[in-house]
Amino acid sequence: MAKKPVKTTREAPAKREPESRTRTAEPPAAGSNAAGRPAVIVVGADKGGVGKTTIARAILDFLSLNDIHTRAFDTETPRGTLHRFHPDETMIVDLTEPSDQMKIIDTLNTSRAKVSVIDVRAGGLSPALEALDEIGFFDAVKSGEFRFVLLHVIGPSIASLEEIAEIAPYVTDANYFMVKNHVNDTTFFEWDPQTHAKYFEHVVTSGEITIPKLSELAYEQVELSGTPFSTFIGNQDAQGRPAEHSFVLRGYVRTWLARVADEFERVGLLDLVGEKRR
Amino acid sequence: MTRRTLAFFVCSPHSRTGVTTAARLLTDYYLSRNVGVEGFDTDFREPLYALFFPEATRIVDISEVKGQISLFDRLLVADETPKIVDVWHRSYERLFTTIAEIGFLEEARRRRVEPIVLFQTDLTDSAANSALVLQTTWPDLAMSVIHNRGASPLGRDSMAVLARYPASGKFVIPRLEAPIAGTLDDVDLSLSRFLREPPPGMSMVARTALEAWLLPIFTQFQSFELRLELQSCEWLR
Repeated sequence: MAKKPVKTTREAPAKREPESRTRTAEPPAAGSNAAGRPAVIVVGADKGGVGKTTIARAILDFLSLNDIHTRAFDTETPRGTLHRFHPDETMIVDLTEPSDQMKIIDTLNTSRAKVSVIDVRAGGLSPALEALDEIGFFDAVKSGEFRFVLLHVIGPSIASLEEIAEIAPYVTDANYFMVKNHVNDTTFFEWDPQTHAKYFEHVVTSGEITIPKLSELAYEQVELSGTPFSTFIGNQDAQGRPAEHSFVLRGYVRTWLARVADEFERVGLLDLVGEKRR
Repeated sequence: MTRRTLAFFVCSPHSRTGVTTAARLLTDYYLSRNVGVEGFDTDFREPLYALFFPEATRIVDISEVKGQISLFDRLLVADETPKIVDVWHRSYERLFTTIAEIGFLEEARRRRVEPIVLFQTDLTDSAANSALVLQTTWPDLAMSVIHNRGASPLGRDSMAVLARYPASGKFVIPRLEAPIAGTLDDVDLSLSRFLREPPPGMSMVARTALEAWLLPIFTQFQSFELRLELQSCEWLR
């Protein structure tokens, strides 16, 4: 039977020394049943339009291509964008509703899928983390029951840095990655190191993930096809029938997805979710 | 068994080396044998190659993804119709970058399309280096050089210059005397039709000189084509 997280009140996080703003991905603790621990990957940002769902889609493709059975939760109610692309493995949920929280958390240990990806809607990251905290999810992570990876998709503005302070209390036991998403040609200015350090003094990141640019036309065609990236590359439609997508566009998407996979591999995402490449 | 579909990239990283002349000659060679050809002119600003074959060519701007789709998706159609791409020197980098990025060569082979680079030589080291880069990047890519003695003479050390190119074959386009070469500028002059039926108003001297220039070039193309066919015969291996 799944162990329900105990509701606790979280204390303010202890202030960390900012001597090192990044840490290497930590392997599972020795002695724990590391390989069998379910993993939760949260993709979110409080700012809209930064490409959270694109990242979530890329993760689902990456895990699927590595033969890792994954389920996904889309918090964009009532109609989820992630659900549109991955209908078979995605459930639309409202993270603030206890019934939906139960659908995710209470089934982590019993689900056949050992990796759950949660695509948090725009503006919903802080409330989502707060809700997870309320139900004791982070305590369960701390005790080694679950693995937790947070991909924080940041925008180019200073507002994104301000988000970091808000989520800092929840990421002490997470593998927390900042994701710079260039898929739509966003340019990121180089933050002033002092400004950057100020925002990161309370948070330790596991690293930074850079999502490269994808040709607008290629991106648009995948959007129109309503399929996972890998299905588009395989020249199939949403029903699995042969499609007539341009080879050029499929080539661009294939190269882009391979580069994204390189980034996920570089940060050791498979190890972090307890799955080695098969 | 179906034959391979040939896709020629006639190219040079430099201007005025005779790329369009070579693309035109190759196109006319096929047309002279009643073989249909699809041509692509990547010089969307001054598409001279397309002017020579308005009904058999399309103009593509490969700096845009839509232009890349018009070119590469069509090149991958294995219909046995030879495809000839006149690569504008300003499109050279973009073309090969795109080829690498979309995995064109791998897909072409899978579909029995044979990409062939016809590299236009010139005296510069950078041209030979560019050819070397192509060969290093794609060791299996078929590449021949074209030495146009009129547009881009290599001088006395032509053998030494040519030796710097990593090509498996060589074509020579002889120099044509200026007055005769001038007749080639006429976009209405079809070299394939000329061989069958020379224009009635053309001077006998020009006609003879042009024939003498053209036939050895077409013979080289024919030899090349035969060699390719022999190489692709599995029962000869």
